[in-house]
Amino acid sequence: MDPVLAEIYSTVLDAAPFVIAGYALLFLVLCAYVVFIMTKLKRTEKKLAALEEHIDELK
Amino acid sequence: MMARMKPAMKKPSTWAHYVALLKKDLSQELHTKDMLTSMGLYALLVLVVYGASLAQAGSELDILQMAGGLLWVVILFTSLLGLNRSFSHEKEHGCLEGILLVPMDRSVIFLAKATANLVFLLVVTVVSVPLFFFFFLGQVGAAPSWPLIAVPLLVGCVGIAGVGTMLSTITMNTRGKDVMLAVLFIPLMFPLLWACVSATTAVMCGADAYMETFTTSMALAGGYDVVMILLSWVLYDFVVSA
Amino acid sequence: MANEKTAGEPKVGGRLDAIAPWALAIGALLATIGFVVNFTVAPLVNGATVSEPAVIGGTLVGNKLLLSQKIFYWHMPVAMASFTALVFTAYYSVRFLMTKRYCYDVRAKLATEISLIFVLCTMVTGEMWTRFEWGVWWTWEPRLTTYFILMLMIFGYFILRNAVEDTERRAVYSSVLGILIFIDVPICFMITRLIPSSVHPVIFRTDSGLSPEMLLPLLLSLFGFLLIAFGLYRLRLRTQLMEDSLVRIQDKLED
Repeated sequence: MDPVLAEIYSTVLDAAPFVIAGYALLFLVLCAYVVFIMTKLKRTEKKLAALEEHIDELK
Repeated sequence: MMARMKPAMKKPSTWAHYVALLKKDLSQELHTKDMLTSMGLYALLVLVVYGASLAQAGSELDILQMAGGLLWVVILFTSLLGLNRSFSHEKEHGCLEGILLVPMDRSVIFLAKATANLVFLLVVTVVSVPLFFFFFLGQVGAAPSWPLIAVPLLVGCVGIAGVGTMLSTITMNTRGKDVMLAVLFIPLMFPLLWACVSATTAVMCGADAYMETFTTSMALAGGYDVVMILLSWVLYDFVVSA
Repeated sequence: MANEKTAGEPKVGGRLDAIAPWALAIGALLATIGFVVNFTVAPLVNGATVSEPAVIGGTLVGNKLLLSQKIFYWHMPVAMASFTALVFTAYYSVRFLMTKRYCYDVRAKLATEISLIFVLCTMVTGEMWTRFEWGVWWTWEPRLTTYFILMLMIFGYFILRNAVEDTERRAVYSSVLGILIFIDVPICFMITRLIPSSVHPVIFRTDSGLSPEMLLPLLLSLFGFLLIAFGLYRLRLRTQLMEDSLVRIQDKLED
């Protein structure tokens, strides 16, 4: 490869892992939050089902 | 009959409330000297700790560059100690409930308590700054512009007392209140601390164009003080009534 | 009784919630398009000058081309989303103090939570950039510092909420703190104008130095993340309200 071109692009390869890591971590944080919301929702649904059973027993 | 009763029943002015509350705090302090001794001793002890922690730094250390920051650490931690205790008396004796029964503007309580805290803090600062100079700047000596540190000290203490009074009212009813106050207080104080340290260092070192740094930092600190204290003053009614 | 109590309160399950999943989807789509455009259309920014220029694709290039700046196209939108969420925290806190209705307290809390998520996103992307460009994990640069302080305040907000038992006290205290935290937002936003630093350029001005090809992915991502923040907030809010009403029903049954 042309040495001038090599110099121009010299930092690109070194920076790539950090750029990828940056985007990946951001995505992971958002995903973790969505998972958090979903677990909350599932727990609420479970409690709701338990409550329904409880009411049926009361009748 | 009614007309004659009227002057006697006149509601005391807000100023009278303020003076009465402030007098209560100050006279109580004059009796017990609780706050001043504990804060003063604590400041002295922090200075002693500095002595140990800087002992190995050697003579090459530019103590003057660090002096402003070190000085503010003393003030910040001492004020934290004082603020933590500022409502302990009211809480122990149920005094705050009594004050709240008085039909008056609640924000007066804030102003009175903040003034009392400011007075204690200023007294401790006036004692600890010469001590700091005595212990650490004896050989080096500050730049001739050093008396100007009175301005950042005053502005900083006003801000600390104002915001701190507000936050200590919040934290007095929380679990683990000592830590809680620090957790809320230090981040909220950070901009003010930053500006005050920068101004203090500028006048103590007296480098070129120090006046410019000094005025910019003081403008920032002053603006922060005004905004924060106005906001605390407005919101205090909600906090103390809750 | 129940109707009287909730009259005038913002409703859940209305039009806002109908568009929330769409907002989430469109937001994700916009952010993705922004991501793609960022790596395909937007040019690499110039770094240090090289010894002699070379011709690439018909244009003369005399500087090193930097890939690390690509982080910026999502870094700045998530930071804006966190600020926006904090604006809503302050708004709902004020509404709570005015009306003493708990629906606003819940909303203030959840807006802060959304803000915390986006603050974390901003921090991780910023960290990666800092690590590569400066070779350090942390430095006390003004914008970094004020933003870090903002994060600590948000932590403090949740620690405070956990430390107060009484519901009314918790709501009042956290509302007041929410308003106080808001003071740091303009400071954080303006700090690059007050104390100029080479790292964080001033973006919102007429001559920001961004070419249209760079502005396009930035704006796409910005709107995308604002929509994502809104969608996540509504989703979280519905879940929370459902949980709260479930607890209320259980309490009623036990009586």
